[in-house]
Amino acid sequence: MLESIISHGLALGAVYALIGIAYNVMFAASRVFSFTAGMVGMLGGVLGALFIDRMGMPVIVGFLAVLAAGAILGIIVEVVTVRPVLRSLDQHLYVLSTLAFALMIQQLTAIEWSTEPQPFPRLIPIGPGLWDQQFWLPLLACAGTLIGLELLYRRTLVGRAFLAISEDNYAARALGLPEQGLRMASYALAGVIGVLAGFTGGQMMLAYFGNGAQLNFYGFVPVALGGMGSNRGAVAGGLALGLFQQAASFLVGGVFASVAVFVVFIIVLLARPEGFAGAATARRV
Amino acid sequence: MSAGRRRTLSRRQVLAGTAASATGLATGVFCPAIAQSEPIRIGYLPALTGPSSSTGIGINRGTELAVKEINAAGGINGRQIELIVRDTQSDPTKAVNAATELTRRHKAHVIWGPLNSGEALAATPLIARDGVPQIHPCWVDSLTDVKKYPLCFRNAPTNQQIGGAANHYVVNVLKAKKVAVVSDTTGYGTASLDAYVPMLKKIGGDVVYQGSVEANNPDVKPELLRMQSGGAEAIMPWSVNAGFLSRLINTRSEMNWDVPIVGQTTLGSGQTKALLKKPEYWEKVYPNNFRNCSYDSSGKLPPRTVEFVERLRKANIDMSDTLLWWIALGYDGPRLIADAIKAAGSKPEEIAGYWNKVAGWPGVYGTITWTPEQHDGFQNNEVIMCQANSLKDGAFTLAPGYAS
Repeated sequence: MLESIISHGLALGAVYALIGIAYNVMFAASRVFSFTAGMVGMLGGVLGALFIDRMGMPVIVGFLAVLAAGAILGIIVEVVTVRPVLRSLDQHLYVLSTLAFALMIQQLTAIEWSTEPQPFPRLIPIGPGLWDQQFWLPLLACAGTLIGLELLYRRTLVGRAFLAISEDNYAARALGLPEQGLRMASYALAGVIGVLAGFTGGQMMLAYFGNGAQLNFYGFVPVALGGMGSNRGAVAGGLALGLFQQAASFLVGGVFASVAVFVVFIIVLLARPEGFAGAATARRV
Repeated sequence: MSAGRRRTLSRRQVLAGTAASATGLATGVFCPAIAQSEPIRIGYLPALTGPSSSTGIGINRGTELAVKEINAAGGINGRQIELIVRDTQSDPTKAVNAATELTRRHKAHVIWGPLNSGEALAATPLIARDGVPQIHPCWVDSLTDVKKYPLCFRNAPTNQQIGGAANHYVVNVLKAKKVAVVSDTTGYGTASLDAYVPMLKKIGGDVVYQGSVEANNPDVKPELLRMQSGGAEAIMPWSVNAGFLSRLINTRSEMNWDVPIVGQTTLGSGQTKALLKKPEYWEKVYPNNFRNCSYDSSGKLPPRTVEFVERLRKANIDMSDTLLWWIALGYDGPRLIADAIKAAGSKPEEIAGYWNKVAGWPGVYGTITWTPEQHDGFQNNEVIMCQANSLKDGAFTLAPGYAS
């Protein structure tokens, strides 16, 4: 039982954490929570199965094609759903625009792909058991993404420019930083991270259009638990969520596991609204 | 009439002739002649595109063959069948619009379909309101009601019969007394669980596990461990989600637990097969099926089905990418309609009157018996379980324990 809780819980948690990071990367660049994160994640699994299983691409080529598709989709999200909203006075319209775009992706996938779950290819023939790719691949992707982002933000000029626009985009623009270009690059990066989540979790979650809504929902929980904008917090929150969800499945079972997850989520938010890794913002009076 | 003497019609003669014709039409003097030669219009509502289209495409092959055969044999009392097809695109809204178009604009004599429950739930009340006889093959129990829909008949089993057959197999054939019943959290899943568990208990089944799980849940091992610790001797999953069902089958096999899995037809679908980690995991999985479209233990189909398959082969109808029972069901629909019109006439009350007295009608899909009080015509003993891994030319082999 413990082995199953840890293996499945961590793997699932890593997928949620990656979606949480995708939310954060988009939020940092635009102050917008784009509800396309989960749908892009779902597409990672679907496109992986399409490119490798159906079209017969080599694994590496298929993987790179999925990442490229994620980047392109991220840019489309920015141009179509975020940029027009940021120009308007009521910026909260992004909830509608991103959600509508996410639903569009879901419906198109259902029509063009299938409404039934499809198999995701076994990429690395190791296993079965704990060495099965479905358990360690999402964890590896999550660790790689976290380290990569830390290096990008702390060691590179472009990364610091990302941080600058996320801190104060007016000041950043005043300094001559290309805010729009950086925002587009952030969305492309978020798209890549999103499809990476779906791709690495594909064998566990299957290539299924219905995964989008689930990832949107459960991927948001680590962001709220870990603190908005904190990638480390998202990873910690995601892994904790995965482990707790899996433990709840064993302890209370069935649909009650989901109820248990959200009860704890609400209690945590009531106790610490800024999340575990987020800093409480001072309120101007 | 000579060429030199041309007769001309005066305006008065034309007006008199027109008036006489109009009177004749209005009073119905000419109607019998027209009615006896006009084609029989069958309004047909298959889902040929969209998510439910795999069933619709299979059924359509049988329906087209039946209509072609009837027309080639001279039609119904000399009247050809005109099949007016409207693709519902698996969308209840489109099914409603198409049904109204068929009953009102095309004045269909009979409606065949819709072919799936979601669309039938939306369209059946409207077809009944327009007073047009209807046959459909949908399983949802409430889709026949002799008081609400007196002209509506079903030539397929109900959900009660589907669940009843699975329960019977588990308790009386497999002799498994301790049973785990699991569903996904969809409306179909939970409604099936609520309906079938009491039925199972009534025939002596001891339900040691009962629960609903989200269909997307990637790990069903906790549920299977609970079933195992409860001593389950059979698992009955109620879901149409191939992902959920394949996870149950995969996990059972990885736990080296050889408990039989008995349930809905999706357990034997190609989508479920595609998601199995190993083909041998499909052993001891028994989905619902239908006796007339199943091979017996010696690999033979019933005689009337053998003859039907031969006819399908001659007509070059592909069976490898669909299910035999879908084609058979599609074939039976127009034949039931043709028999009613041939024997009783094409008015709604004549068609329904004939169907109300149908007893033991030998369909390829099933033997149909309707009465004025019972419009569910399928026989309980023709709903059986089959071996999931035995699919050959669109048909499955009976599950172990059934007499040939």
